[in-house]
Amino acid sequence: MTSTASSATAAKDTGPARDNESVHAAAERISAAGESRPRPGRDPVNLPMIHNWAEALGDGNPVYTNAEYAETSVHGGLVAPPAMAQVWTMGGLHPEPAPDDPMRAMTAALDEAGYTSVVATNCEQTYHRYLRHGEHVAVTTKLEEVTGPKRTGLGEGWFLTLRYTWYVDTEAVAEMMFRLLKFRPADGDEPARPTPEPAGDNTADESDPRTGSPILPAINRDTAYFWEGTAAGELRIQRCGRCGLLRHPPGPMCSECGATKPTHLVACGHGQVYSYVVHHRPPVPGKELPLVIALVELDEGVRVLGELHGIDPDEVHIGLDVEVFFRQVDEQVTLPCWRPRTEGK
Amino acid sequence: MLAPPNGREMIMTVVAGRTLTAPEVVPGTALPEERIEVSPTFVVSTAIATRDFQDVHHDRDLAVAKGSEDIFLNILTTTGLVQRYVTDWAGPEALVRGVSVKLGVPCYAHDTLTLFGQVLEQVEESSENRLVLEVLGRCGRGEHVRGTVRLVLPEVES
Amino acid sequence: MSGVSGIASIAGIGATEFSKESGRTELQLAAEATRTALDDAGLDPSEVDGMVTFTMDTNTETAVARELGMGELSFFSRVHYGGGAACATVQQAAMAVTTGMAEVVVCYRAFNERSGQRFGQVQPAVAGAATSAGVDNSWSYPLGLGTPGAQVAMFARRYMHTFGATSEDFGRVAVTDRKHAATNPNAWFYQRPITLAEHQDSKWITEPLHLLDCCQESDGGVAIVVTSTERARDLPHPPAVVQAAAQGSGSDQFTMTSYYRDDLTGLPEMGLVGRQLWQQAGLGPQDVQVGILYDHFTPFVLVQLEELGFCGRGEARDFIADGAVELDGRLPINTHGGQLGEAYIHGMNGITEGVRQVRGTAVNQVDEAHNVLVTAGTGVPTSGLVLSAE
Repeated sequence: MTSTASSATAAKDTGPARDNESVHAAAERISAAGESRPRPGRDPVNLPMIHNWAEALGDGNPVYTNAEYAETSVHGGLVAPPAMAQVWTMGGLHPEPAPDDPMRAMTAALDEAGYTSVVATNCEQTYHRYLRHGEHVAVTTKLEEVTGPKRTGLGEGWFLTLRYTWYVDTEAVAEMMFRLLKFRPADGDEPARPTPEPAGDNTADESDPRTGSPILPAINRDTAYFWEGTAAGELRIQRCGRCGLLRHPPGPMCSECGATKPTHLVACGHGQVYSYVVHHRPPVPGKELPLVIALVELDEGVRVLGELHGIDPDEVHIGLDVEVFFRQVDEQVTLPCWRPRTEGK
Repeated sequence: MLAPPNGREMIMTVVAGRTLTAPEVVPGTALPEERIEVSPTFVVSTAIATRDFQDVHHDRDLAVAKGSEDIFLNILTTTGLVQRYVTDWAGPEALVRGVSVKLGVPCYAHDTLTLFGQVLEQVEESSENRLVLEVLGRCGRGEHVRGTVRLVLPEVES
Repeated sequence: MSGVSGIASIAGIGATEFSKESGRTELQLAAEATRTALDDAGLDPSEVDGMVTFTMDTNTETAVARELGMGELSFFSRVHYGGGAACATVQQAAMAVTTGMAEVVVCYRAFNERSGQRFGQVQPAVAGAATSAGVDNSWSYPLGLGTPGAQVAMFARRYMHTFGATSEDFGRVAVTDRKHAATNPNAWFYQRPITLAEHQDSKWITEPLHLLDCCQESDGGVAIVVTSTERARDLPHPPAVVQAAAQGSGSDQFTMTSYYRDDLTGLPEMGLVGRQLWQQAGLGPQDVQVGILYDHFTPFVLVQLEELGFCGRGEARDFIADGAVELDGRLPINTHGGQLGEAYIHGMNGITEGVRQVRGTAVNQVDEAHNVLVTAGTGVPTSGLVLSAE
């Protein structure tokens, strides 16, 4: 369940626009308040709760429940399952409302704006160390980000990103990024029903950017002039030193006249979108998704691929006038990218 | 691990085995597929064991009234299952450094959750040699979870 | 008719189960599929003297031969360009049999494409390679276009723009394939048909392609036994005669990214394959009863129908919408469910379905399937076959 498209355009009438403003104002106020006060868990880390957890989930790992085994293990004694971090500070059957809980404050603001339904989308937990019996854990919460409104498969909504940190005394022992979608159900008064994906294959990951080094081109003596050009802020196109044929992608021998004396010209950097895609998944190392990639036909007549920035994906169309700009990805490599052509150039 | 249809007894996964060592595992290594029969008892007992008392995890009538088809697994359990799936494979002394989950369709009672996994890469983080594993959980309605687990394995047999 | 036409036949087919996690090595999959195919042909491994596979296959001919206890091999060959190799493996085999270089040739392809190396994910290494292919890929991968789906989407967008085709036009291919898979017990999506609405609601992979425009990722192996038609007549199954077999690479051809031709709405390499097939077989589109068209991504199924002459340029959407590709239509396609519905075994499972149709043993058998057209990977240099009953 992820957003299918982002709505960058302003809301169309004043009602929702006012709601959006109130959501933004609440988000700013709650984020600015920072981390909540630490809220201690009910009980210290203890064997009975671990045992219940292991039994229910079917986890037979002896480092959690078998003292004898645990003594001789890498842990030197019983430890808690890392994934129980949050369990220690769950509110329980009758949770006491914490007045400074940013999650509570933000969901209240969204309820008021009509975004009444909720679904959790992501949870990323990091464990700094294993917890031992008797340790008392407390948690703080911080509102990190509110983005929206976005159109999603479930309806229009806002993504809230919260950061939880678990402490033993002053030592942070675990952290969690938690993202949820507060949304207005798509069909008005219909109750929120999570939409199952039709059975398909897992061709893809979700559209979150994944960290990773960007893919770098193989560069050889046939293609070096191009990458030297992008580094110098020039879009260079191979031109045959004998017959003048323009060619991209380049090669060592002119396919027209057979000469092996390529030169290049510097393109004016203007062209039109010949075709384009909006890539959502799977993740592409070093890229934030969704990403528009355009095949641009240059005024000089050849086509060059590149990322297209500075325009909402929904606004891109074949024939769009674009101009080149350059983006350095590492010490050696600079990529040509496209953006809508500004007036008067 | 299986929950029999009557849901009264859970069979614990017995992990008496050895722990894999780092040199034994390479990116691309696949984890054995595992099927979990998600009985109502499983949904309820795991929700309570994770101290999650939201009604959609134990009260079918209320869950249906709220637009769900049945009671469904809570996120803390999904996170725990992803962790367990990986440590069951890696062995008791594998150290879990992180579990991330992205949720897809809900996993309702009476469904079967099938877990798949593979080792994606080895990374150097916090001066440790860590494995990054991908875990997928599919149920009848589609992909329930896509998870990532960061794991440290011993360099040598202990 | 010319060339190899009619001289060689497919005498045996074999496959493993199709899964997401085979739980065994790719070599074991190749060996199991080969053994099954030889059993189907009623031949002993010792009678095999030729082997053909894809350059992408990780199992050498010698390794498979060892597992099967084969003896001497006098012919071994490999074909490049991913799924474009599928039908060309049979072409290689047929040429070897026709010229007497070998008598019994096994074509195979086996991989853990879902549980191992997944083609649907970005594979950074392919752009960095110090080969001409690495340099070619350097014009797309670093620029963000790093998956087969994204690379096909670029063609699909232009096709839509030129001919007014829509995502629903692509979706009908998926619906048809999944309908056929739904009645095929060997298909991953057995008993799981989809609706056009589900196609439209499925998440974006790379616009304009939805998830359900993209084929599965699968683990599995397929093997095919080719021998002379004369010898095949004495074997248990009626021969599936290789009436025509062709390869094709177009001008200014790239692998998946032939974006620099005048027009992006065709697949000239498939047009070339089609022209050769009709010429070799002495047949035309009107003489074919079943089409097994490579379907890693739905848009190229439309383009293939046009390139192969089943309809005019830009008319495939009407051809499909009119029901022509259904089981009772003018040209039923992908009767096993295709790679969208059965499994993605790089096109090789399509050839085995072609053989079953010719034998009359397919789960979704088409009446009087005398001539079956099978195609291989699209967007790459490719290949095709016409298989016929005697």
